[in-house]
Amino acid sequence: MSKLTESINRIQSLEELADGKTAIHCIHPMAKLITTIFFLVVVISFDKYSISGLIPFFTYPILLMAFGEIPYRSVLTRLIVALPFSFFAGLSNPFFDRETALILLGIPVSWGILSFLSIILKTVLTVMAVLILIATTSMDKLAYQMIRIKIPKIFVMQIMLTYRYLTLLIKEASDMITAYHLRSSRQKGIRLAHAGTFMGQLLLRSFERAEKVYVAMKCRGFNGEYHFASSERMRRGDYLYGLFVCTAFLLMRGINLSRIVGSIFV
Amino acid sequence: MHMADALITPAVGGVMMAVSAGAIGYSVKKVKEELDDKKVPLMGVMGAFVFAGQMINFTIPATGSSGHIGGGLLLAALLGPYAAFLVISAVLVIQALFFADGGLLALGCNIFNLGFFACFIAYPFIYKQIINKSFTPKRITIGAIIAVIAGLQLGAFSVVLQTLISGITELPFASFALLMQPIHLAIGLIEGIATAAVLCFVLKSSPTLLDGNVTVEGESTNMRKKTVTILLIAALIIGGFVSWFASGYPDGLEWSMERVAGTAELEAEGSTYHAAAGIQENTAFLPDYGFKDGGESSALAGTSVSGMIGGGITLSVACLAGFIITRFRKKVKCNECQS
Repeated sequence: MSKLTESINRIQSLEELADGKTAIHCIHPMAKLITTIFFLVVVISFDKYSISGLIPFFTYPILLMAFGEIPYRSVLTRLIVALPFSFFAGLSNPFFDRETALILLGIPVSWGILSFLSIILKTVLTVMAVLILIATTSMDKLAYQMIRIKIPKIFVMQIMLTYRYLTLLIKEASDMITAYHLRSSRQKGIRLAHAGTFMGQLLLRSFERAEKVYVAMKCRGFNGEYHFASSERMRRGDYLYGLFVCTAFLLMRGINLSRIVGSIFV
Repeated sequence: MHMADALITPAVGGVMMAVSAGAIGYSVKKVKEELDDKKVPLMGVMGAFVFAGQMINFTIPATGSSGHIGGGLLLAALLGPYAAFLVISAVLVIQALFFADGGLLALGCNIFNLGFFACFIAYPFIYKQIINKSFTPKRITIGAIIAVIAGLQLGAFSVVLQTLISGITELPFASFALLMQPIHLAIGLIEGIATAAVLCFVLKSSPTLLDGNVTVEGESTNMRKKTVTILLIAALIIGGFVSWFASGYPDGLEWSMERVAGTAELEAEGSTYHAAAGIQENTAFLPDYGFKDGGESSALAGTSVSGMIGGGITLSVACLAGFIITRFRKKVKCNECQS
């Protein structure tokens, strides 16, 4: 099934990207985590009709993708997959909020259209920021930072283990689907009537795998503690990066750069 | 049903994050109490199982549509509610990070909507009560279907409330609820059937996997009390926050109008106004005659034109910078390779 293989490819490609050695990759994961969260909060704190105020924020993902050598295509394709939900949720705005806000080149634009566009811009920005974080920081490093910000270790361990087994189980499921289709050539998809046996089989195989994993872990001295590789300390550059980026976000939040640049020309 | 960052306000995201973090903290405590180290890899593998399971669609005869398992209730029935809640939360974290399925700030909302209701409401109060310790295929089927439907209905309603409180979309409460609830009734039915089928299969082939959840008398009432307490606290926090915010900020529209009226720059132009009105009459999609006087709207048009042009320029400069950096880096790399 293409959806399954596609998701494996996605995880692997993000993992490969995170292995890079650019300036962005070298920034301390904690600095990146904090700036990303700060970025998200600042972006969604804009009021529902903001458009021009949001545009300068595109500088952040664009520069990071350029410096971090992240191919634009991989981020953009993911964006297209993520957009529909916000698109349809926001689509109601032009219908319900029809009061005219302004007339642009002879075309009346309603508040609803403004807020709809604002939702789309916010979606693009937030999705890009998270993807860039994960494309420049490996999951192991992120996990260690999660522990440092006091997220329970057992929960972080859960995230890491799920992440580790994901590719394995998706592959297992994909093999089972191929086998199913080979035996039912004229049928599209898997019938609901077979859901129980199909998923049940996958479940039993998963349990079996968990058993094997447990034995293997036990053989290597596992006693319920999972050890995370500690990362380096934050250097002065990391602090400066965090400070600089967060200040820039705050400035962009307070000052509408688009309007200032625009007023020079209009 | 994954909430996106763009649809919530920081306040809603923050409150839901706090509520979900509380539930995770409590689950961690409970899981630690009963955890044997064998459960550690099992939970990890089960998370991956749910992840993979959600990608496998089952076709529904004669409808052309399809559905998949949800995971929350299935996990609770196999691992118990606390471990299940941690597993489903971890799955949601990975979905948010790698697949942009639901935002990072909306994570609290998503964990609450998709995990909390399934594990702490639907499982103990519906599924377990219907099973009542006698694991028969009939009881499992009825219990799973009703519990999944109930969990999804609560989750969908919670999405409606979170969206409404955030006020980013204009959907009126009634129409949004009327849209969400029936859709999730249908989805819940399919999910419920699939979940029931899996549980019945497990009952037939490996019943011990289900047995782990038979709890000692008394524990369920204890847990019920705790769940009610958590819910009450959550309601108080949410209620308090909402009223605070509602009083602190005026209506978004009023606020924008106010702000705009103070920065008038351009004069209204009669011809564009009439031309616009003509277009409006013919298209339902475009806005109706809402504004009170031309001055206010054209003032906004003035600032918006400069905003739009400025935004365009800013974006172009940023893109150009990105392009130059990428080109420059490639060039440097080529030179390195040649030398």
